[in-house]
Amino acid sequence: MLKKKGWFTLLSLVLMVSVILAGCGGNNNASSGSNSGGEATANAGKNDSKETKNLTFMFRGGTDEQKAYEGVVKQFEADHPNVKVKIVVTAADQYATKLKASITGNSVPDVFYFESGDLKAYVNSGVLLDLTSYVEGNTNIDLNNIWKYGVDLYRYDGTMAGQGNLYGMPKDVGPFALGYNKTMFEAAGIPLPDKDKPYTWDEFIKVAQQLTIDKDNDGKLDQFGAGFNVQWALPSFVWSNGADWLDATKTKVTIDDPKFVEALQFFVDMQLKYGITPSTEQAQTLDTYQRWMKGEMAFFPVGPWDMSTYETLPFDYDLMPYPAGSTGVSATWTGSLGIGASAKTKHPDEAVELINYLTASKEGMEALVKAKVQIPNLIDMANEWAADTTTKPANKEEFLQVVNEYGRVLPGHYTYNAEWYNLFYTDIQPVLDGKVTPEEYVKSEQPKMQKLLDKAVEQEAKSKK
Amino acid sequence: MNAKSNLYRKEKIYGFLFILPPLLGLLIFTLYPMIYSIYGSFTDWDGLGQMNLIGLSNFTDLLTDELFHKALFNTLFMMLGIPIGITLALLLALGLNRGVPGTTAFRVIYYVPVISSLAAVSIMWNWAYNGDYGLVNQFLDLFGISGPNWMANKFTVKPALIIMAVWKGLGYTMLLYLAALQSVSRSYYEAAELDGANGFQSFRHITWPMVRPVTFFIIVTNIIGGSQIFTEMNIMTPTGGPEYASASVVFYIWQKAFGNFQMGYASAMAVFLGVFIFVVTLIQFRMNEKQSFDVD
Repeated sequence: MLKKKGWFTLLSLVLMVSVILAGCGGNNNASSGSNSGGEATANAGKNDSKETKNLTFMFRGGTDEQKAYEGVVKQFEADHPNVKVKIVVTAADQYATKLKASITGNSVPDVFYFESGDLKAYVNSGVLLDLTSYVEGNTNIDLNNIWKYGVDLYRYDGTMAGQGNLYGMPKDVGPFALGYNKTMFEAAGIPLPDKDKPYTWDEFIKVAQQLTIDKDNDGKLDQFGAGFNVQWALPSFVWSNGADWLDATKTKVTIDDPKFVEALQFFVDMQLKYGITPSTEQAQTLDTYQRWMKGEMAFFPVGPWDMSTYETLPFDYDLMPYPAGSTGVSATWTGSLGIGASAKTKHPDEAVELINYLTASKEGMEALVKAKVQIPNLIDMANEWAADTTTKPANKEEFLQVVNEYGRVLPGHYTYNAEWYNLFYTDIQPVLDGKVTPEEYVKSEQPKMQKLLDKAVEQEAKSKK
Repeated sequence: MNAKSNLYRKEKIYGFLFILPPLLGLLIFTLYPMIYSIYGSFTDWDGLGQMNLIGLSNFTDLLTDELFHKALFNTLFMMLGIPIGITLALLLALGLNRGVPGTTAFRVIYYVPVISSLAAVSIMWNWAYNGDYGLVNQFLDLFGISGPNWMANKFTVKPALIIMAVWKGLGYTMLLYLAALQSVSRSYYEAAELDGANGFQSFRHITWPMVRPVTFFIIVTNIIGGSQIFTEMNIMTPTGGPEYASASVVFYIWQKAFGNFQMGYASAMAVFLGVFIFVVTLIQFRMNEKQSFDVD
């Protein structure tokens, strides 16, 4: 009795497993069967094939952004009845880990976001699908109508990033423009900044000093000129002074350049000498961000992703060029996130179609811009968008100027990893506190960073084999 | 005879079937990655492409890696929270064991942090530690002390994390102690009382030795857990803190593996950490054996 029951259980287990396996196998057979059968019709047009093609799309973003992207994907599915998109979304800080884990585990999503800085590593190890043949010559896509800056970020010819084949499309470009509190300027009777002529550093300090006030005379400052996070704002000052972290070959760390030192000194002086920013102790991003939002700060960087939040600010703000160093030309960082496809995707055509829909189609772009989470990727749409001065900020044109004229990518983008660059910020606190001079700092830091950069270069050479 | 062996065989099969899922889990999710990681530690693997054997050079690099030394120091430093936590938990448990009014309420209050998500707790404490409007500094303000910006100062960031970790773990440790205290027979104390022992003496000679197994358990698990501390710093100081003052070993491993394409090097650190934990735990077990012999 017992014996029979035991074998019955085992048998049913075996049956169950085989049914499950057969189910998978059957599916595979079905799809491969229709593939071979449909080959003839595939040339006629992919919309004719009746089978459902499943894609996974992995991305990240804040709640507003998630909603916007989910909406666009739904719309894509409606326009492409034979494609089903499974969305995988994570919080921003977990995204890189999750993506890299899925790459290591050989289960790369069909379509996914990636950082432009990781481009080389992903291309060298065959993770990313080469989009060149799908995009160039595609009548639905006009690459000339998309920001060159953004597209070039995802080009790589095997040695230098920024040229060659295309491995991704910009999800957007994120010009990190400088904003100012217009209401505060008007209240203080200071003429508004010129939107075409940047302040010199001296002018910037003078205006900022006028706006740094102890309003209630309690001995504590409660309105500041500016509040810059060193990591995101220092590049602007360094670049506009004609210096950089890397030389043209992207193999030498050049922070010991006197022009670099000068810019770092200026950055430190804003707090220590001129006192126009909250003290280092108070200068965590959150604090300066809060102060800006409360209307206690005159100048603050503004990204397009901030627009939906800043719309409800209790004051009027607008955009202006960054103060310019010795070159006389503004500079700032412009972010971007790419959307790429897996080199191993089963449905490359549909994957690229989805990428194009999200990055280069009018339908997709309109929905995303309406959600106020980004500026349009399409240049003609962007011009139209910027011309509308009735919504905040009025000078949206500045965003476009950043992308077209003075925005740059962070130095880590050019190298196999950004470890050497990150070290610069890991060790910088004593400089901001005035305990170490910029001159001493760059001297002691350059060799350490160079060592890490050499390692990255070496790693890159190895990965190409 | 025959029937019996059949039954025996069947039971054996059932037995294997029952342990199969956890066994498979162990093999697939623990043993396989472990061996893979040990192998990886001898390679220059970037986490994506090929693995080339490079001998011990990952391990020799560890010797001169300043950031690794910093992270190791930070990890050990933050273990200062362990004795503090044990002392506080034992005091609380002693108090609650005496049946103060509202014991249940107190137990709940101290246990809530334990069951809360560490991520949520980290975000909450991050607000509390904010230099300008954080709860901690507002509280210090009442006494005329102007507090630092805890997370942005390299001298305060570690103590801040320790305080938080102690707070988070207190309820768990306390509950273990409470259970241990309640299993101590009253008769010991009565005997001690008859012999004229005072409160401290009966604590030192009865309570403390009687809860020793629990103390041992707590120390061992806390050191293992403390060596792997990660979530707090990842959320509260996502760049490793001012001058890397709050980066732990696991944080550095994570950065190397997933930020900088150095899975091989990260694996080497993981192997180092694994050996470290193993050795420390072994020493503790040895010491425990000796001491329990002495007590008996």
